Amino acid sequence: MIFSSELIKGTLKTIVLKLLADNSKMYGYEITQRVKELTGDRIQLTEGALYPTLHALEQEGLVTTELEYMGKRVRKYYKLSPSGKSRSKERITEFAEFMSTMSVLLNIQPKTA
Amino acid sequence: MYRISDEHVDYILDDLVAKGIDMEDLQLNLLDHICCIIERELEDGGNFERFYHDNIRRFYNKELREIEEETINLLTFKNYYAMRKVLIGSGVFAVAAFMVGSLFKYMYWPGANILLVLGMVTFSLLFLPLLFILKSREARERSDKFVVGIGTLTGVLFSLAILFIVQHWPGANVLLFLSMGIAAFVLLPVYFFTGIRRPETKLNTILMSVILVGTIGLHFTMARLRPSHSQLAIATVNYVQGEALLGKMLSVNPPSPQLAEIQSLAAQVKAMVLQRYMGSATVPADFEVQHIYLRDGTLGPEFSENAAGVQLLRRLNAAIAGYEGSSGDTAIAGVLRQSVLNGDPSETGKRYTSMSLLNSISQVQMYLALPQQGKMAAK
Repeated sequence: MIFSSELIKGTLKTIVLKLLADNSKMYGYEITQRVKELTGDRIQLTEGALYPTLHALEQEGLVTTELEYMGKRVRKYYKLSPSGKSRSKERITEFAEFMSTMSVLLNIQPKTA
Repeated sequence: MYRISDEHVDYILDDLVAKGIDMEDLQLNLLDHICCIIERELEDGGNFERFYHDNIRRFYNKELREIEEETINLLTFKNYYAMRKVLIGSGVFAVAAFMVGSLFKYMYWPGANILLVLGMVTFSLLFLPLLFILKSREARERSDKFVVGIGTLTGVLFSLAILFIVQHWPGANVLLFLSMGIAAFVLLPVYFFTGIRRPETKLNTILMSVILVGTIGLHFTMARLRPSHSQLAIATVNYVQGEALLGKMLSVNPPSPQLAEIQSLAAQVKAMVLQRYMGSATVPADFEVQHIYLRDGTLGPEFSENAAGVQLLRRLNAAIAGYEGSSGDTAIAGVLRQSVLNGDPSETGKRYTSMSLLNSISQVQMYLALPQQGKMAAK
């Protein structure tokens, strides 16, 4: 099952921040590939959603960038800034609480139980 | 693994631009992304173009521009589109009002000034500030924001200066020189040195800087424009006609020795001005053929402190005072009060230009060349 894009949209920033917290620096393609790997292809970030989000994170000062020149190509690496690191933790905590609230709200039984 | 050549990179970049991706940052990101996909997923010797076009389609629903629009949306603010509409609307209005206003002004039709003022004010106080707000949000680095800010300030000052010049309002020159000064000594260096450091903006920066220097230079030249030859010719013809009239008056009504002395001193003052501003003490008969014209300008050093011109004016004043006392002509005081002979002769250079000094002296001369009868009547 592949999740719908509406579900992913609200959590995209959290996903990106968490990935960058775990890896020192990443570029766009690498992020999409890592998400695919980690989720067994169930979450596929689209380019159309990822890049606007990365640019927004950059403008908010949560990530910093680093350019790598490869001939005529330029690869843009993203890194968490100090404020990005604390925001990453906040968003993950927030999402965890959201999930537990949702499971109560929608009366979801944990699978392991 | 497929190897991507420089030609492939150019091909992709051109296609991204053609598909409406204008933001440089986004171009770089998408270019690298699609290159990664091609390198990992296309086998050696595969069809590059077909693979590229099949895969770029995954990036969007309807068109690639969506990504840029979404980015701008997130980057700027919710009312971005409303602001952009006002920006375009005010820009179109300002340019239209300015063009129609110029046409009206040229044709001497009523309403020209209202249109011009509205157009220029909309342009400098609505369009340019809005452009600044939108562009400064897109600029990432502080230096880029500074360039956008200084650029806007220069544009606002410059268009206001033009408005002031057209409307003959005071302070136009101050605004014009201020805008050119800021452009030349602040905007240009900051723009040049921030742009030239980045390889991707280097060429554009050099080109834009050259254009900017050229534009500032041209405007500086225009700011010191001299009157055209036709205007100088008209002024010279007027002067020559005045001299002819004076000559006629003196021949019909020959002056007394006392008045002849005054006329001679006055003629010497004028000869001194002509010498500096035309190159000869009298206007040559064929001045129009030779294109020798009287120029208007600040008086030379001979009309300051105690130089020759000032001494001549003092002698002229003394001679007229003597005439005034002996003839009992009190009306002459009124004439003198309006002329160059009123006030301290050593200050003449500060108060008069070459043309206005000549005219003023000629008028005093003509008054004194009138028949005595006329002066008695005036009395």
